[in-house]
Amino acid sequence: MTDIAAATATPPALLADRLVKDFPGVRALDGATLRMEAGSVHALLGENGAGKSTLIKVVTGLYRPDGGSLVVQGQPTALSSPHDAVQAGISVVHQERNVIPEFSVAENITLRQIPVRGRLVDRDEMRRQARRCLDLLDVDLDVDAPVKTLSTAQIQLVEIAKALSTDSRVLLLDEPTSALTLQETERLLEVIGRLRDQGTAILLVSHKLEEVFAVCDTVTVLRDGASVLEAEPVAAYTKDEIVGLMVGRSHTKDAFAPRTVDPDGPPALELDAISTAAGHRNISLDVRRGEIVGLYGLVGAGRTELAKALLGLERVVSGTMRVHGEPARIRDVGQALGRHRIGYVPENRKEEGLFLDQPLTRNIAVTVWARIRRAFGYVPPQRERDLVREYTERLGIRSAGPRQLAGQLSGGNQQKVSLAKWLAAKTEILIIDEPTVGIDIRTKAAFHRLIWQLAADGLAILLITSDLSEMVTLADRITVMRDFQIAGGVPNTHDYEPMSQAVIRLIHGAAPDTAVA
Amino acid sequence: MSTSSTHETDRPDPPPPEPTRSAGAGRLPAGTSQRIGLLVAIAALVVLFGSVQNSFYNQQFSVFPLLQDVAIFTVVGLSQMAALSIGHMNLAVGRMAAFSAMFMGLAYQRWHLPLYAGLAVGLLAGAAIGALTGWIISTTGVNSFVVTLAMDFALLGLVSLVYSQFTTAAAFTTKPAGMDGLRNYSLADVCVGSVCGSPAVPQILLFTIVAMLLIGYLYARSRTGRELLLVGSNITAARLSGIPAGRRVIFAHALSGTLAALAGFMLAATSGSFTAGIGAEFMIPSFIGPVLGGTLLTGGGVSVIGTLLGTSLVQVIRQGLTTLGIGLESLNIYLGVILLLALSTDRIRSAVVTRRAATSR
Repeated sequence: MTDIAAATATPPALLADRLVKDFPGVRALDGATLRMEAGSVHALLGENGAGKSTLIKVVTGLYRPDGGSLVVQGQPTALSSPHDAVQAGISVVHQERNVIPEFSVAENITLRQIPVRGRLVDRDEMRRQARRCLDLLDVDLDVDAPVKTLSTAQIQLVEIAKALSTDSRVLLLDEPTSALTLQETERLLEVIGRLRDQGTAILLVSHKLEEVFAVCDTVTVLRDGASVLEAEPVAAYTKDEIVGLMVGRSHTKDAFAPRTVDPDGPPALELDAISTAAGHRNISLDVRRGEIVGLYGLVGAGRTELAKALLGLERVVSGTMRVHGEPARIRDVGQALGRHRIGYVPENRKEEGLFLDQPLTRNIAVTVWARIRRAFGYVPPQRERDLVREYTERLGIRSAGPRQLAGQLSGGNQQKVSLAKWLAAKTEILIIDEPTVGIDIRTKAAFHRLIWQLAADGLAILLITSDLSEMVTLADRITVMRDFQIAGGVPNTHDYEPMSQAVIRLIHGAAPDTAVA
Repeated sequence: MSTSSTHETDRPDPPPPEPTRSAGAGRLPAGTSQRIGLLVAIAALVVLFGSVQNSFYNQQFSVFPLLQDVAIFTVVGLSQMAALSIGHMNLAVGRMAAFSAMFMGLAYQRWHLPLYAGLAVGLLAGAAIGALTGWIISTTGVNSFVVTLAMDFALLGLVSLVYSQFTTAAAFTTKPAGMDGLRNYSLADVCVGSVCGSPAVPQILLFTIVAMLLIGYLYARSRTGRELLLVGSNITAARLSGIPAGRRVIFAHALSGTLAALAGFMLAATSGSFTAGIGAEFMIPSFIGPVLGGTLLTGGGVSVIGTLLGTSLVQVIRQGLTTLGIGLESLNIYLGVILLLALSTDRIRSAVVTRRAATSR
């Protein structure tokens, strides 16, 4: 492949060669190579955390690589800002929406280089440019309509038009179809085909293998920050082979003492046909004492939203929730904790789990004040200190002392603090959302042991994680969510290969829903 | 203008732990160095002003009114501090004082209540108007700046209206028994045997001390106070930790209103009458005291002693410049500069905390 490319006259539209990117404690990219040709659609695949987003951020100038090189149209290039990337002809449509809702379609499309006459905005020219970009996509939109009046799919097209507004020869699309319906997706894939025919090099990041096989010419697969497949023709592989490459990491199986699920009595937590205002339909699942039930799914499948609905932060419109067999209606977290002993360790620890500018003590003791307070709301300092010391020791939180600010701890220790407050509160049901994102391997293993031990001690744990290997290691049963519904479930054998394939199949809807947990 | 989406960096980013200089600047018992700094500044200025103009040390005509102002404006500062503790502001602090003072005036003049019963009515009025403000903020989600600004205007109108309805000279002048004593008495009037206190210390300072003790207890020792600070630190995390955030917001503003009412009472007691103009000068000093003293504008950190010291510094400068014969205009320029310095200090400090905490995503 490389030899052929070298022999041809035109250099690749984009060559990212053996990129390395380090974050403290984590190497996000470890020799990832990406090679894109003009007039071709290239797929970038990999599990959550394989380094896809980091790679895109390096290629678009958001991150600077710690190693490796970038060559654009044969020119070695160093990008120090997103602006540089645009100058080099590289445009990106990020996964998150990135428009100004109050502005018109034309204003959004031309935002990067607003046409001016003198010092004033040239509105006619702006509309003309916007129409030209939309025409490239063969899309008919009112360029004066505010973006907030458009549908999700239309906004997506506006973003692509915006990416095209700056003469881009390389277009990166990060999961462009994740929020689109089937028809809208087909439409978008048509547009991608048309852009390819016009000579653009397109990168498609997607979790939907059908799309990849429908529209892509070549494929790169990332695993643990390295490319395990580099720009090979898609046609040479089957879906199963691709999945195998994505998940095929050497899976080190941690040896845990066996754990038994309490089979008696009603489940600790039981959802019966729950539908929520957030869009969940007909969600049923249960967790028993001593059991870890895994909730797997892609980003946006509605798992975190489900957790928040259980805590009363999202309205439940129908269905029943039972805690230890008793019907429960939960209005807020205080009630979830105080009456039902349910705790939630949020995914986003910095924004939702911790008080970064507050000392360790308060971060952990926050959930127990209501319990240990005396008359006049007096919180006995000694009692508070003892509790905090107990859980800092039990979880092995390393700090300079109880007065150290939570923001000064390392990621792993922060996550332990976020967990400690729920243990201190003596919860019986714990919802843990993405416990090990951004945490180094060693701490991760310690965390897994901890979660396992909590279940062994009798907690009922609902584990939300996008890390399949973590899921297979910990869960007793795996339930897969897709589009705010349960797509199916499988009992976990802790055998990585077959489990991961079964789960990925459920996600991609490739297999009929068999074995329901 | 580029619009990069996922700006800033990092997903995995454990910040380097810095155990040596940890322990939280600006937290309750910490931040001591800042307070010692204030104390040194106050002492230096007292010596400076006194050596330039000896009448600065005059117990009856300089120190007594100075301490009276310190007493009143410390309570004003505590009122603002209550709102700041949850990361909010109370721009209506002065008008809430006027509103409550109006009720106290009504209580004395029309309902003929005794001194402390009238005070209780006023404190209740302050708590109620503050609670209403907090309720509006927590249910609508509108920024406290906007809500308290609107409240300020509404109360300005209401208070003037009531005064023009019920009074002839735009003031309630009835003085219940004991009010004159609050105005004039100093510790010289408190004697144990033949030993009397200093004539420089006004008795009204007692209100301030009681308020400081109660507020200090609240934030340092009680569940509610800690929860207020956590709401100020991160309201999402507070809610997700089971803190009734809405109720705490209402509480903080009710507390702010109550303290404003107390300050209004103290000002009325020392000036001798309840007028619509009470509290008109509260707003800016209400920020200077707490912020100089180490209270974070962003919420989550308060200091009661700091508020006293910050207020004292301002009042010493004010009194000193007055003694030196400097006019009101240039005096305000100096105060403006002090406020600016105080605010920048807060910004720099929170920037440092943010950088160390690496709050990005």
